[in-house]
Amino acid sequence: MRRVETDGGVSTADDAESTADPTETDSDSEKLVDVSSSFTVSDDDEGRPQAAETAIETRDLDVYYGDDQALQSVSMEIPERQVTALIGPSGCGKSTFLRCLNRMNDLIDIAHVDGEVRFKDKNIYDEDVDPVALRRKIGMVFQQPNPFPKSIYDNVGFGLEVQDKPVTDETVRRALERAALLEEIDGRLDESGLELSGGQQQRLCIARAIAPDPDVILMDEPASALDPVATSKIEDLITDLAEEYTVIIVTHNMQQAARISDKTAVFLTGGELVEYGDTEAIFENPDNQRVEDYITGKFG
Amino acid sequence: MASETPTSETWFGSAEKVGRLRGRVFKWTCLGATVLTLALMLVFLLYVANDAFRPLSADPGWLATMGLTVVVPIALLAGYYYRRDRSAGQVAYTALGLPVLVALASGGLWLLFRHIVTPREWFVLVVSIVVAGGIVVGHSRVRHDAVTERLVVTVLVPLLVVVGIPTVVPGLGQLLYLLPVLPNTLFSLLLGFVLPVAAVVGWRIRDVRDDDRDGAIAAGITAVGGLAGLAVGPLVGIHPTSWFVFAAPIVGALVVYVEHVVRTDKGRSGLAFPVVVAAGIAAGLAATQLLGFAGPNAWLDMQFLTSPHSTTPTDAGIYPTLVGSVLILIVIVLSAFPVGIGAAIYLEEYATSQGRFGTVMELIQVNIANLAGVPSIVYGVLGLAIFINLIGMGRGTAVVAGFTVGLLILPIIIISTQEAIRAVPDSHRQASYAMGATKWQTVRNVVLPESLAGIFTGTILALGRAIGETAPLLMIGVAATVRVSPDSFLSRTGAMPRQIFSWSTQITTEFRYGVLAAGVVTLLVVLLTMNAAAIVLRNRSQQN
Repeated sequence: MRRVETDGGVSTADDAESTADPTETDSDSEKLVDVSSSFTVSDDDEGRPQAAETAIETRDLDVYYGDDQALQSVSMEIPERQVTALIGPSGCGKSTFLRCLNRMNDLIDIAHVDGEVRFKDKNIYDEDVDPVALRRKIGMVFQQPNPFPKSIYDNVGFGLEVQDKPVTDETVRRALERAALLEEIDGRLDESGLELSGGQQQRLCIARAIAPDPDVILMDEPASALDPVATSKIEDLITDLAEEYTVIIVTHNMQQAARISDKTAVFLTGGELVEYGDTEAIFENPDNQRVEDYITGKFG
Repeated sequence: MASETPTSETWFGSAEKVGRLRGRVFKWTCLGATVLTLALMLVFLLYVANDAFRPLSADPGWLATMGLTVVVPIALLAGYYYRRDRSAGQVAYTALGLPVLVALASGGLWLLFRHIVTPREWFVLVVSIVVAGGIVVGHSRVRHDAVTERLVVTVLVPLLVVVGIPTVVPGLGQLLYLLPVLPNTLFSLLLGFVLPVAAVVGWRIRDVRDDDRDGAIAAGITAVGGLAGLAVGPLVGIHPTSWFVFAAPIVGALVVYVEHVVRTDKGRSGLAFPVVVAAGIAAGLAATQLLGFAGPNAWLDMQFLTSPHSTTPTDAGIYPTLVGSVLILIVIVLSAFPVGIGAAIYLEEYATSQGRFGTVMELIQVNIANLAGVPSIVYGVLGLAIFINLIGMGRGTAVVAGFTVGLLILPIIIISTQEAIRAVPDSHRQASYAMGATKWQTVRNVVLPESLAGIFTGTILALGRAIGETAPLLMIGVAATVRVSPDSFLSRTGAMPRQIFSWSTQITTEFRYGVLAAGVVTLLVVLLTMNAAAIVLRNRSQQN
């Protein structure tokens, strides 16, 4: 688990700059002011200012499938460049919530969304937001690995191609390397993506999602269809990815959430966000009795 | 407990066997149904083949010789493949079937060149298309980002170059005709057919092996195979131009297939099979010629395939109606396929199922399924009423026949294309959308490539149905018998099923039994060729 160490970082930078170039110092202190003024104070029990910016914020998010309500007034702030885990029993709305963040629920005819989801200072459900443009900034990895029946190279290059970005050997290889797959398949990039093992296919899907360089990566139970060895590789990968991207992962495996996430949100049946906070706090000392019951395995 | 008596404790003896009588009776009944179907079809095929080829009218010596040189080697080889090397067996029948299929397809092309498009016109068309294609590709490379402009160019440039604006601007083709020198038939076919086929083969090999040199070699072999007609043709009695049209595709297809077998290195011994068959047939024919054995007095021979109808049964042939059927098929492919495939794509990908619009779409869907079952004679009446009486098109032309039969198979095309598109798993579409692709990008890059093989299978099978439809042709006035091949799509034509029907109403027995059988076998061969192509396509798509 990481914490963003900004206090020490800022001061050393300041020290370095003041001796280097006098004209730079002013802009640096301006930078200081700008950065600190955009610190948001997230739900932290001890009231310590969290140094992370908010990547996505939901306000009173309600989702209905026809007449059934799947999410009830969910409000949370998801920090940037950290791993946020959404846990809860089956059918409690975690995947629904995840799909709201990149407007994949728009593809379901009977789904109806109320409330706000703010990303980069804009409510993504506003009239003038193009969902396609949104999905180019928020990538997604699904539960079942679903590579296209094309070559590995074409799979990774797909996102770049549809977003009108150049498909080069370099970008493809870098994405595969980031996804910890390049070593295993180097020299076989022309083979079909379907010929890989399950764990490799899932890493291929992750490489495919990160190739166009999104800001946020959503993962819907990415390791649930994989064996333990592949699962641990994916978990290491997620921790690694969080240095560059904001990662939001849905998982039904509580130990996995405890292992890799910085913040955890607990959903319970009916689409209710019951508790949200630092992972350590949730697992060691939850506020809500129902959360404690769920975590200790009394139900779910 | 250990003290139980054996009889009360045996649960596996014959007294305790679970009854399976009913299951066995059911299984044998189903097997009987299968055997009955196969037997009936086999009896029908043998009966028709016997009438068409009359093998029993041949000298016993002829049958013995051909049996020894052809049938025995095939049986031996087949047995060997079955026992030792199954994959070689698969390669064997593909290696034999592929040239046969390609030869039949080339036959269709040959008819096209003979009657509809002169080689010179074809050459001019190819040049125009290459020039138009070059402009479009070059433009898209230079102006990569201007999407609207590229769309306009892709649509307008081919139209302008190939067709021109009628009476105002001549297309490139018409301009080329003004040149003082144009290649003659031989060179037109050489430049417009053999070289492009060789280029396509070379391109494909280069792609597959990732080697420019191999691609050049492949193209060279194909070109030489085609060009050999200049030298070998006169020796064998085949005109060089005919050789071009048949040899270039056959050699090209063989090159691609042999390369594939050599590269995957599975069952290479199967490649010997077509060689053995061809050598056997050649040896057998030579031997029977030498020994003076007479072959069967078949109704279906070269003369039948190349002559028009005649009142003398032995002189009658199917050639003009064969041309007519090919023309009708071309019209169907150009008219019904785009409409049907387009409609299916819309219904599957774009139409919603919600709201009032969705209800309308569902109604349309149900009605398409109903239309597939409408009797074919009703389509004939429709064609007569609308195309001929209302719009005023000519009676019995290839265009009207193509439209009418095209309408008949349109629901089948739509339904089978929908099935192929539905077979694409939704997870692939979701993955595509999740990466920020628009609907058009998803359809173009994910859905269509995956469903293409299934679409081809369905449309080819529908085409096979179309070629044999007789009732609509009766209604729209397709000629009962034709003496001259149609020279354009707008002239009165015959069609194979129509001709077969009129032979069945002749008084002379030979027409009703001999010539008819020959016509039926010809139709069946064309049909089986198309179905074989569909099956090959389906198998390839399943492998992926």
